[in-house]
Amino acid sequence: MRKQTCNVLLVCGIISSITVFYLGLSTIECPTARSRAAQHRWAVNLHAGRNLSDPLQIPEEYNEETPLIFVGGVPRSGTTLMRVMLDAHPLVRCGEETRVIPRLLAMQASWSHSARERIRLDEAGVTDEVLDSAVRAFLLEIIVGHGEPAPRLCNKDPFTLKSLSYLSKLFPKAKFVLMLRDGRATVHSMISRKVTITGFDLTSYRDCLVKWNRAVEVMYDQCLAAADGNCLPVHYEQLVLYPEQVMRKLLRFLDLPWDTAVLHHEKLIGKAGGVSLSKVELSTDQVVKPVNTEALSKWVGKIPADVLNDMASLAPMLSRLGYDPLANPPNYRKPDLLSLNNTK
Amino acid sequence: MRLSVKRAAVLLLTLFGACTLTTLYQVLICPGKAPRRYMRSILVRNSNQTQYRYNQNTPMVFVGGVPRSGTTLMRAMLDAHPDIRCGEETRVIPRILSLRQGWGRQTEERWALEDEGVSQEMLDAATTAFLLEIIARHGEPAPLLCNKDPFTLKSAVYLSRIFPNSKFLLMLRDGRASVHSMISRRVTITGFNLSSYRNCLTKWSNAIEVMLSQCMAVGQSRCMTVRYEDLVLQPRATMQGVLHFLNSPWHEGVLHHEEAIGQPGGVSLSRTECSTDQVIKPVNLEALTRWVGHIPADVQQDMESIAPMLRRLGYNPNANPPDYGQPDPEVINNTQRVLRGDFKTPTSLKGWAQVSPKGGRN
Repeated sequence: MRKQTCNVLLVCGIISSITVFYLGLSTIECPTARSRAAQHRWAVNLHAGRNLSDPLQIPEEYNEETPLIFVGGVPRSGTTLMRVMLDAHPLVRCGEETRVIPRLLAMQASWSHSARERIRLDEAGVTDEVLDSAVRAFLLEIIVGHGEPAPRLCNKDPFTLKSLSYLSKLFPKAKFVLMLRDGRATVHSMISRKVTITGFDLTSYRDCLVKWNRAVEVMYDQCLAAADGNCLPVHYEQLVLYPEQVMRKLLRFLDLPWDTAVLHHEKLIGKAGGVSLSKVELSTDQVVKPVNTEALSKWVGKIPADVLNDMASLAPMLSRLGYDPLANPPNYRKPDLLSLNNTK
Repeated sequence: MRLSVKRAAVLLLTLFGACTLTTLYQVLICPGKAPRRYMRSILVRNSNQTQYRYNQNTPMVFVGGVPRSGTTLMRAMLDAHPDIRCGEETRVIPRILSLRQGWGRQTEERWALEDEGVSQEMLDAATTAFLLEIIARHGEPAPLLCNKDPFTLKSAVYLSRIFPNSKFLLMLRDGRASVHSMISRRVTITGFNLSSYRNCLTKWSNAIEVMLSQCMAVGQSRCMTVRYEDLVLQPRATMQGVLHFLNSPWHEGVLHHEEAIGQPGGVSLSRTECSTDQVIKPVNLEALTRWVGHIPADVQQDMESIAPMLRRLGYNPNANPPDYGQPDPEVINNTQRVLRGDFKTPTSLKGWAQVSPKGGRN
């Protein structure tokens, strides 16, 4: 009798231990422990094979001194390609588009453009300084939080560069990469791939070209006016035709050491410390491939004749950026476009 | 035979026991949800060089209600307390909250955001950081920070979550008085058609219903309703209740906020806010029943159905006006001084009302 109860108790004890054991295993491994471990492993790999005299550390704190990198341009100008190539660099993390950052920046722009609103905000004690520190705090939380940590954090939301000057005020040490592309290619891409962009009427090449012109002008002017030359315009065509040349210049501009990984971003997709892609973004199916020139001249023959005739007047930015508005297509290999310090 | 089985069983048991203990240990040291990457802390210094440190756990008060319900009076009286600082309406806080709400609704946008690695927790952290910077920096620091933007109380539940030690004061007022005030003073409020008493009363009822349900969801210990009528008729008792709710010591100054205007540690007013010309005066009864006789007859007839919240809040929709209560002698005295013309808007606070239309808020 006693032995039976004893055995029953023993069996119960064993069963409950097994259950707890498996429960313990199945409850997700502590996320912080894992991410901290991943962080540590990744940081160790970082320093393992590098002969860096001053290894770039992951900063302890993020504030207005943080040297962020902002990548942008009119959508369909190679912004995603640029950011995935940067992501392939072991010291940089951009990550996907945040979507929320351009909305906050647009809201701030509308407040600051209305003189009446500025007066009201000032009267409320919400001065430029106060508002700036609030916007900065918001941006940092999103940029820092939405991907792996890295010594150089980067953000790619195409239209953020409409607020380039403001961002450079918020983050004086930030650098900006403005992707430029032949407007005809950009517009053809958004129309043929049906990429909805606020303000662009996808049924009209004419309207889209006018809107492209306006948008790229706003961004380009701010880029040229950036303090201390902190903005580098990069032509998409040059990036896909001469990737190594362009990336070398870019990394020098960003004060980053050269790493060949940036030329083979397709190998690092989904890897830790590599490239994270989003199912929602429309460029994802393109950037899983290595850098290629497929999309360069897809637009030729697709633009309506009447639009082609008025091209120079519809989109004056084309010639300002070095694209011949009457050539279908221009020779993208021309040396003029190689010059990345376009001061026109 | 039996002995070895038993020994084997005991051995197995101790083995599994050890495993259990180690896994339990791991589970216990794991804080569960990944903590935020860094806890934002804001350091502000006041004129005396005293340093104040604020973060999302700092106790905070949010004052709100439908506009024209005495929200500015309440925050001015609280501002007169040396330990409390509300300051002017920030205007930007309700807009950020509405933006945040849009990102949280169960729509494609939310899933798109999750796909991009922007989680709801991250949006909370970013919103909290933004709000904290504005609230902490747009006025002088004080032990108890307070914020008054009327429509924030539509997000009381959300605020109570991101600021775990926050409390809420919901100002209630007879909707007829609020609506008469916004129409007669031409205070633009999004969604309110100032040419129609009927429309404004309906909107008032909807708005206060939402805020009241948010207040109730937050709970009695963290959200308190204050009737404007009680505040102006019996300020002493009402403010005693409010300060007790806020765990702040009594201070006589809250009954004489008009003496602290423009003073350091006192009441800071905005020249562009439409209530400014009223709160420079002491607590008085001028605005209590001004609405009587101004509501169109047809609206008065349908009052109960147009604004069901009137009765729910304890205001008789058919009494013009209802009996709001008995005034304290202090308030009667104040009202007489005001009617005599003792309180004129100082020139430093005048002039802006002509530059821009009064009010203008969303």
